[in-house]
Amino acid sequence: MPEIFINGHPVQAEKGQTVLQAALANGFYIPYFCWHPALSIAGNCRICVVQVEGRSWCEISCNLPVTDGMRVLTDSELVRAQRKDTMQFITLNHPVDCGICDKAGECTLQDYHYAYNGAPSISREPKVTATKFHDLSDRILLDNERCILCSRCVRFTREVSKSSALGITRRGDESLLRASEDGVLDRDAYSDNVIDICPVGALLSKSFLYKARVWYLKPTPSVCPGCARGCAVDIWHRKPEWKLRALDPQQNTSIARVTPRGAQGPDGPWICNKGRDLARIFERPRATAPMVKGKPVELAAALANVRSLIAAARHPAALVSGWGSNEEFAAFRAAFGDTFRVHVKHDHRPEPGEVVEDGFLIRADKNPNVAGARAVFGVGADSPPAWHGDTDLVLVWGEGCNFADLPRGAAVVFLNAYLAPENGHADVFLPISIATERAGHYTNFEGTVQGFAACFAKPQGASDAQALFESLATVAVATP
Amino acid sequence: MKHLIPEFEKLKQRFPAGFESSLVLPCVRRIQEDRGFVADSDIDGLVEYLGVPRIQIEEVLSYYTQFRRKPIGRWHLQTCRNLSCSMCGAERLMAHLKARLGIAPGETTADGRFTFSTVECLGSCGTAPVVMVNDTYHESMSIEKLDALIAKLD
Amino acid sequence: MPGKPLIMTFPVTATSHTLADYRARGGYATLARVVAGMPQEEIVKTVTTAGLLGHGGAAFSAGRKWSVINLRDGQPHFLCANADEGEPGTFKDRWILEHAPHLLIESMLIVSYALEVRHAFVYIRGEFDLPYRRLAGAIDEAYDAGLLGEGVLGTGFALDLVAYRGAGSYVCGEASGLLSSLEGKRGYPRNRPPRLTVQGLYKRPTVVNNVETLANVTGIVANGADWYRSFGTAKCPGTQLVSISGHIAKPGVYEVEYGYPLAKFLYEDCGGMVGGRKLKALIPGGISTKVLTGAECESVTYDHQSLGAAGSSCGSGGMVAIAEGTCMVRLLQVLLRFYHHESCGQCTPCRDGTGWMHRIIDRIVAGNGRLDDLDRLLEISRRNDGTTICGMGDAAGYATVGILAKFRDEFEYWIEHGRSRCDGALEIAAHA
Repeated sequence: MPEIFINGHPVQAEKGQTVLQAALANGFYIPYFCWHPALSIAGNCRICVVQVEGRSWCEISCNLPVTDGMRVLTDSELVRAQRKDTMQFITLNHPVDCGICDKAGECTLQDYHYAYNGAPSISREPKVTATKFHDLSDRILLDNERCILCSRCVRFTREVSKSSALGITRRGDESLLRASEDGVLDRDAYSDNVIDICPVGALLSKSFLYKARVWYLKPTPSVCPGCARGCAVDIWHRKPEWKLRALDPQQNTSIARVTPRGAQGPDGPWICNKGRDLARIFERPRATAPMVKGKPVELAAALANVRSLIAAARHPAALVSGWGSNEEFAAFRAAFGDTFRVHVKHDHRPEPGEVVEDGFLIRADKNPNVAGARAVFGVGADSPPAWHGDTDLVLVWGEGCNFADLPRGAAVVFLNAYLAPENGHADVFLPISIATERAGHYTNFEGTVQGFAACFAKPQGASDAQALFESLATVAVATP
Repeated sequence: MKHLIPEFEKLKQRFPAGFESSLVLPCVRRIQEDRGFVADSDIDGLVEYLGVPRIQIEEVLSYYTQFRRKPIGRWHLQTCRNLSCSMCGAERLMAHLKARLGIAPGETTADGRFTFSTVECLGSCGTAPVVMVNDTYHESMSIEKLDALIAKLD
Repeated sequence: MPGKPLIMTFPVTATSHTLADYRARGGYATLARVVAGMPQEEIVKTVTTAGLLGHGGAAFSAGRKWSVINLRDGQPHFLCANADEGEPGTFKDRWILEHAPHLLIESMLIVSYALEVRHAFVYIRGEFDLPYRRLAGAIDEAYDAGLLGEGVLGTGFALDLVAYRGAGSYVCGEASGLLSSLEGKRGYPRNRPPRLTVQGLYKRPTVVNNVETLANVTGIVANGADWYRSFGTAKCPGTQLVSISGHIAKPGVYEVEYGYPLAKFLYEDCGGMVGGRKLKALIPGGISTKVLTGAECESVTYDHQSLGAAGSSCGSGGMVAIAEGTCMVRLLQVLLRFYHHESCGQCTPCRDGTGWMHRIIDRIVAGNGRLDDLDRLLEISRRNDGTTICGMGDAAGYATVGILAKFRDEFEYWIEHGRSRCDGALEIAAHA
């Protein structure tokens, strides 16, 4: 292991590391725009300069391999001067329109300006103008004036998502980031990651555009339920202390955006576009009234009804939700023991046009916790379930069940979070909470267990499934 | 573009295996010689033939000054405006061309006969000023020689 | 002739570029000796000992560059002749391509033999039409004669050679930008490390040499290192093809033996300035080399040491002679417009710096300059120096710093009076 000295401090570097990597791994910060730990080295932004002691010039640390005994300075007078020069170049044609930029508050350029430049521009020349509000894809808007041509997004589409959807056209200070004209970016299921890795506000999410200043938002750690991969995500929503009073109160309980949660999950630093669109899944009209045969009733009355149905049933079965948490599965099992013949249900299946499976992150099983259910109940998700011939009661938990496929004549108890026609077709209907309204854990297809926390309170009238199971358990326990 | 594939196949033979990407420039050049510009369908054809990402061809077409995606005039007059040519009268030549053709650099005459461009050093400084007409260098140009040349281009 | 020639040793005729003529001049005899079994190391050693330096601008030892190639690493190696000749003022390689294409091919065969190269390329700028046709014709002749392809001259040695045309980009003359272009991409230069001799074309070890550098190899291998060292000076052996243009009476390509007095070359060989004017300034080796004043040229000899001591360099051999009366402000404007036009846009300092400098000089010429703009130009030049991926950022700065250091008063005059002290003239008529 080569030993190097950063600002005089000895540091154990790894063989093959660059100075930038060794410095960051050992707590020495070096600024960078174009470098990204998961992408190839471009070395074009020139901000990550360091000075090797004894040399009269600087070099970029992202492309400087460590050698034993090397002595580098990350904050010498020359380094500071050169960084400042580079910042002056980078902001030369940048519009500095932070006041209307979605990236403000989490913009590397903004941060570095305060950290390494801080001076007004010395240029007298008009800025180079370029395309604004350019439709890069169905999902992404591009502001070429803000773009600093670091090429992170280009490298992402070539090296990670493999769509080769992006490139830089023209040259010099007229260079323009552009998407391939055949529209492959529209079909790149991972395209939105380029928004996150853009160090400036050039790549903008159309769904997040002008929606919120990021400092009014907080990230709640969660797990994407979109497929069995279970990518670790942050769900961003309004900070309670910045609750909006004047505007639509719904905004206080809406998902503003979803981003990958660093490199801590099994997904690496990336997620697919479906994970960005969790609002589409979670923010559908909710069911909030318990019902008996389609008629709204008090929860207590509904529960009493369920209890008697279970008591009367001779061959009860349950369709357990592939979207349930490990805690809910455990509660179900504790409450009902072997009362129900359990089948695990795929609540969601691939939708038309959706990527079913790829060699990267996306899995064909579009449910987050089939593996967790299987671990608790010891059964797989059989489809269609092999019903016992005499099944006379089915507890259906979650979406994805066509009532016509249920055993003829069986009573139906239905737990669902969303408004759906089937809710009224069930003998008893119980509205439940969704994952953003409770905490829990999912087990992904590889057996990795990850937790998610609640972002919002559940709506009036909805119950956590876990509480329902516990309250119904007395019946199950009383029945031998 | 498809009718050029036999030519491309011959070209390929002197390249090592796995050099398909390298064929982008020569193939684009040949297509442009054939059609006068590179059409969208040519790009599609090359993507299919070479198996390179479309964006690579789009980048190349916009990066190099010699490639174009739109048709131009029958005669492409390119005057060098770099140092040695400017020192030997290129600026007067350009002003003359502008007046005589009634178009600015980058434009094409209404009859589609001439496109006038300025270029940077063509490597013909010893015989400056140089005007390139399509692929041919016309060296040590003067206004008189240029007028005589233009008269011959129909 | 400014000294003894190495390359321009034959009269140019209508057929002097053909294989038959080249053979009649003794062509391909050296190749025959080489492929008959000359040890590879001996070729590299001879060229290293001869002191052959790069003739494209950087003047790096050719032999030392080659010695990085590990002949036994089992990887494919590539050789590429840089015929992108795009440095304004430079048109010397064009002479070799048009008149001695077989000399280049023979040299490339020898170098390929020495470096275990199976595929070689000549990257030739896209605008060169006649040079390309001459070279492509010569390559075809060589294939037909069994000099290229499988079994060169009936031996086990094989080489394929491709003339690869650029398409209009100055930075493709930089070796790594050239290789990016040869891979069918934009001509983006690459960061070092890795060196191209370690990871070049398609990440394989690749040698890129200037056309003229390669053209010297055949003679050196044929006649030995001492023979080559008998040309030029002790520290700077050999010759340089110098292309001279601008306000010079007899522009063209001359082969100048290193150590030849510069003033003698300008006034005797090239006939002095047009119209008998005085030499105001000289760009000695392409516009990216620092300008010399007429007075500075008086005592200089043409070699790396003497020009280096005068604060400039031989560069690419592209000399531009500037006569008294020429406006240096307009001259710098032309150069800065060029660098702006040709910046590939990859890395920050050059992408933004060249455009910035161009806009400043345009504003000065438009009559809206301020005196501190000149410091600003120097400041931007300094910021570009050594901070970019390739040398182009530096080059724009060298040109600016060189001209401003010696002709600042002309810029100040324009800024103060809103017009040129020399009537804005770049053109000097021959009959003036």
